[in-house]
Amino acid sequence: MEQTVSRRDFLKLGGAAAGALAVGSFVPPRVAQAALEAGHLNAQGDGYIPSVCEMCVWRCGLLAKVKDGRVVKLDGNPDHPHSKGKLCPRGQAGIMTTYDPDRVLTPLIRVGSRGEGKFRKASWEEALDIVAQKMLEIREKYGSEAMVFSSTHNLSQVQFENFLQAFGSPNYGTQRSLCFNAMIVSNLMTYGMEEPARNYDNLQYIIYTGRNLAEAISNSETGEMIAAIDRGAKMVCLDPRFTKTAAKATDWLPIRPGTDLAFHLALINVIIEERLYNQAFVEAYTTGFDELAASTKPYTPDWAAERTDVPAETIARIGREFAAAAPFALAHNGWRTSNFVNSFQAERAITILNALVGNWGTSMVHAGGEEGGGLGKPPQPPYPRISAQRLDGVPWMYPFVPLKIGVFQQLRDSIIDENPYKAHGWFISRQNPVLSLPDRKKTLAAMASMDFIATVDVILNDTAWFSDVVLPEASYLERYDPLAVVGDKAYIRQPVIEPQGEAKSALWIYKELGSRLGMSEFFQYADEEDYIKQQLAPLGASFDSLRSQGYVELPGEAGDQFQWQTPSGKIELKSSTLESAGFAAIPTWSEPPAPAEGQFYLLTGKGARQTQFGTQNNQLLHKYDDEPRLWMNAKTAKAQGLRDGDMVQVASEVGSIYVRLLATEAIRPDCVYMMPGFGHLSMGLTTAYGLGSSDSDLHVTYTDPISGGQALTQTFVTVQKA
Amino acid sequence: MKIDIAVPSRLYHFRPNPLPVILVALMAIGLAVAMVRFASGIGAISNLSNTYPWGFWISFDIYTGIAISSGAFLLAAAVYIFEIRSLRPLLMPTILTALLGYFMEVLALMVDLGRPERIFNMLFYQNFTSWMLVVGLCVMIYLAILAVEIAPIFLRGLKQDKWAHFARRFIKPAVILGVVVSTIHQGSLGALLLIQSAKLHPLWWTPLLPVMFFVSSISIGLAMVIFESSMTSRYFKSHHLEIKLLAKVAGAIPYAVGIYAVLRFAQLFLSGNSQYLFSSGLMSVLFWVEIVIGVVVPFILFISPRNRADPRTLLIGAIILLVGMVLNRFNVSWFGIHRLQEVGYVPSLAEISISLAIFSFGILAFGLGARYLPLFEDSDAIAERA
Amino acid sequence: MATIQQHAYLFDATRCIDCRACMIACSVENSVPMNDSYIWVTGSAVMGEYPDLRRATMPYHCMHCLEPDCVSACPVGAWSKREDGPVLYDEDKCIGCRYCMNACPFSVPHFDWDKGLFGGALMHKCTMCVQRLEVGQEPACVQTCPTEALKFGEREALIAEAHSRIAAHPERYIDHVYGELENGGTSYLILSHVPFGELGLPDVGVTPVKNVSEAAMRATIPLALGWGAVLTGVTVGMELNKQRKDKAGKEEPAEVEAAAGGKR
Repeated sequence: MEQTVSRRDFLKLGGAAAGALAVGSFVPPRVAQAALEAGHLNAQGDGYIPSVCEMCVWRCGLLAKVKDGRVVKLDGNPDHPHSKGKLCPRGQAGIMTTYDPDRVLTPLIRVGSRGEGKFRKASWEEALDIVAQKMLEIREKYGSEAMVFSSTHNLSQVQFENFLQAFGSPNYGTQRSLCFNAMIVSNLMTYGMEEPARNYDNLQYIIYTGRNLAEAISNSETGEMIAAIDRGAKMVCLDPRFTKTAAKATDWLPIRPGTDLAFHLALINVIIEERLYNQAFVEAYTTGFDELAASTKPYTPDWAAERTDVPAETIARIGREFAAAAPFALAHNGWRTSNFVNSFQAERAITILNALVGNWGTSMVHAGGEEGGGLGKPPQPPYPRISAQRLDGVPWMYPFVPLKIGVFQQLRDSIIDENPYKAHGWFISRQNPVLSLPDRKKTLAAMASMDFIATVDVILNDTAWFSDVVLPEASYLERYDPLAVVGDKAYIRQPVIEPQGEAKSALWIYKELGSRLGMSEFFQYADEEDYIKQQLAPLGASFDSLRSQGYVELPGEAGDQFQWQTPSGKIELKSSTLESAGFAAIPTWSEPPAPAEGQFYLLTGKGARQTQFGTQNNQLLHKYDDEPRLWMNAKTAKAQGLRDGDMVQVASEVGSIYVRLLATEAIRPDCVYMMPGFGHLSMGLTTAYGLGSSDSDLHVTYTDPISGGQALTQTFVTVQKA
Repeated sequence: MKIDIAVPSRLYHFRPNPLPVILVALMAIGLAVAMVRFASGIGAISNLSNTYPWGFWISFDIYTGIAISSGAFLLAAAVYIFEIRSLRPLLMPTILTALLGYFMEVLALMVDLGRPERIFNMLFYQNFTSWMLVVGLCVMIYLAILAVEIAPIFLRGLKQDKWAHFARRFIKPAVILGVVVSTIHQGSLGALLLIQSAKLHPLWWTPLLPVMFFVSSISIGLAMVIFESSMTSRYFKSHHLEIKLLAKVAGAIPYAVGIYAVLRFAQLFLSGNSQYLFSSGLMSVLFWVEIVIGVVVPFILFISPRNRADPRTLLIGAIILLVGMVLNRFNVSWFGIHRLQEVGYVPSLAEISISLAIFSFGILAFGLGARYLPLFEDSDAIAERA
Repeated sequence: MATIQQHAYLFDATRCIDCRACMIACSVENSVPMNDSYIWVTGSAVMGEYPDLRRATMPYHCMHCLEPDCVSACPVGAWSKREDGPVLYDEDKCIGCRYCMNACPFSVPHFDWDKGLFGGALMHKCTMCVQRLEVGQEPACVQTCPTEALKFGEREALIAEAHSRIAAHPERYIDHVYGELENGGTSYLILSHVPFGELGLPDVGVTPVKNVSEAAMRATIPLALGWGAVLTGVTVGMELNKQRKDKAGKEEPAEVEAAAGGKR
């Protein structure tokens, strides 16, 4: 039995958090005034204000219901393609991220030793002065490259990048190498674009390789998946766990971790051997078919069955069904497959599979960028030239990893190894590397080696806990951000309530720091509204109509006028780029490591109520989330003498944790699973502290040399009764 | 009773009876727990939950309490309506028991109701499809009736013989009304469960539940008369055992439980629910335990006149019957109810302490009543003499 | 929405992904305390044995019965059924007896276990978001459902839609719309691919459970009057008999007096 959140009997579970929604109200002159002008609020100050969600990176449109200067409810904006009037559990709970009693509401300056959690409140003047002074000191003593910057996937990231480039540091860490590097790089190699968009409109057949849309929710796509299934589309789900997505699948294949590549190679084999591919499409738009055919000949369904634990006839059947459904079929790239160092090739095989049957233009289409053609930006001088090498090895160790993506875990390791030089300062914005990077001990060591760490966040997350200065950012319901581009529209994130305490927007923080660092010319906007007005300037659109409508139309990009930005200008089944660098140009099988006797694959994956490493303190999400436990197959657990609910010790070669066991039928017998994001170290998180344990204590750092992706599933663990 | 006040040192000769001390202590504990309940809610002291909205209090204080108070209406009917005057000596103690019993139920309700301060809403906003309303009104009315029935004795205890004589005039109408109200009341506790047809196990649920409750309350009442008389004769020297009368009372028990058993089994077989007699695991076991000790054993024991003449057998037989019938009340109001959630419920010590406190109050009050009221005299006879 | 005669929900378990957005939306919309919920997920256990598994979940909340048992059961009439669908609660009348919790065959109402004499303990349950209905919005749970597993509208139309969904995919659904007839019909209609018991729904008949209870109630008044008349008759008869005997001058030997016990 899986644990349930039936929660008729809540009493024992909630308690302390009761009434937190009702903290004192305050009068918001400025935001209310603006909303009144935009026609969102009535004279009493009640009404709905359109904005953009930030509970994950999907950026749904929302309508914030405001009453007496407080946001009381968030609804999905029907006018936004990502929300279509709906919000996921995290979006619905966003109100508690804003009203989190643990919010950091003034700048904090560390007074105790690092990690002790002793801070004093400070004014913005003082805090910004200290940060700027420290950064200047480091630049003076060790050069700009001694400052490391890291931030992840947020709307103000463009100004964060502006900030670090103006400062002159090449060292930029994003979380992307912990997530989807393999997918991005494989798409770049095959299609010459980072991530083609998916179109579910007439989809009849989907293969998800570890993409768990029912739990790792991407609001509109999750809805499209269910709608497709409802229409009668067939769905194949490769996952060692019986996830909530797997529960909707026509075929759930509990494949052996690390063998997704073998499965997809066998599909390619079936499709080529049985001549099921789209000959016209392959000839017109692809290169390297013959080499592919020759190279995948040995990868028969029987061959794959041995490796994947999926029966050969099932593989052959799926190959045939997939080809028959094309071009209304889709082998979904996912964010990542089960992550092994061979995952890059697995992603490549998936991209090739789609090309072979000619899904392009139907289920896969060209995606517009997030930059938004036609939007303006404040003027600025060219950035200083940077000569120092990047600590994360891009491109000198990882030639194919885009600069904006980087290899975060390598950055961390280089900080420790001081290779090729020593870093002295770290500026982090809304990111939690203490929890997200593999091997937490190393991350803490890297932080300990720093002379100075400053963090921008809304709560005292683990990383902020270990920082010297914490700069409180306004929550996404309290601030402007640069416009969010989706398709042919740019959506505005605008404050629906006044920032609480002293919290400020990232745009303001970077600008203020910039001016203290002598970089004012890179931040030529008076305030947040002025920044957005400058974005709008080339369109001739009015700021007021943007605010009241919630979005602005962008000039139509020439729809299908795109090119595959590969060296050949075609879809490269055989990648010339990879070939020239000496990597396998056509996906070839390499046997992934497997757990020894007594060890388990350690799986991680998202749940519907949490986003990465920053939402665990949200009381509403906590209220409805399951207790984070270690999943183990019920029969395996029994054989090991473990019972559901036992406290167990899980150990890998880099660390060990204690966590409660969930004995369930819903997982392969050779795997264990835990949800990442729990096991916070910060005692400033009263809801999340003490909840579950962190996979980052167990994960060993393995980096794929091509994509720079962290091979998260390549860690094996033992489990014993604590 | 005389107290020797000439003794100088009270400490020296102070030999407290342990029972009242224990009772008072239990009441103090219960009172403290009740304070917590009134300050912080029922959840603060009990293990009740949304899956178990009713628990030990309802099964013990209400369902059991009202069942064992049924002796009063039986004896009152026997003495005042059917003029079986020979039973008169048993009457007043039984009525006092019932009065205290009902008062105890009110105390329990004050703890168990979410909004006890609104209890009289039952008089202002009445929903006449609600059996809960009937139960509430019956408690209120019957409490008043019992007060009328006991008033003469009480007034005589206060040496107000003239008033006592006056109060006696109201007894007969009160008794008639009391029997009617009691009949409805005993039945209404069964009727409360009618609406739980989807939850109560078919070994217990039947449209005849009110009838079952009324019929079983008769044997419970008879057993209670025996039990009480036996106990009071043991603890109060003023009262010696009315063995001949009790044998008479016991003689009715085989009929009472016999009719009850016939009804139960006829209903089960006619409704087709007899299929669950042996197939429902724990439910079947509970059913049979209830039937064996509540019906079969008392029937066998009390069918024999020799047993009925033996004080020990009388007492033991009565206790066995009571245990069986109390189990029935627990079964219908607690054990036999299907829950949608797999959530357990074991009453907390605090819950039990409340019931113990109320129970202690009852015993203490009965003790005081037995000591200071002319309970064991034939009030009519005395009044007539006066 | 103003034209809707009988509001109802239609839930399709094949579309539910157990994300619980509905629960959170409801919590925020109705300011539900952190230790309570008007919606809870039932049936979320994985069933079967690896690798032959299935799962089904549903957001379980008030069924808004057409003939609600809570309305029948409440001694003080705190529950009522609004003509257009919602079953509503009058917190000023409630005495906290919790009989509604027992009476509800779906065990829906919740109680404030943590509120004392001055906290104002009350019953809680789904209100069909009447405050949203009034401004033309769907209930919060329905509006936010990312997979549209929940729909809201006219009950008759939703029943028709449910049957047509079954007809379109008979292999997918159990051929039954739970709530169409259950307990006299409910305003929460459920389609499922697994037996309804696996969704946590109780097995209730088509007649509301209150019917037997109300029939018994109707029989009670005549019964009580009759019983009272019989008893009065007997009493009067006995009294007359006694008076006749007394007149005959026969003093009854005080059999009872002898047994009256000692003095105190």
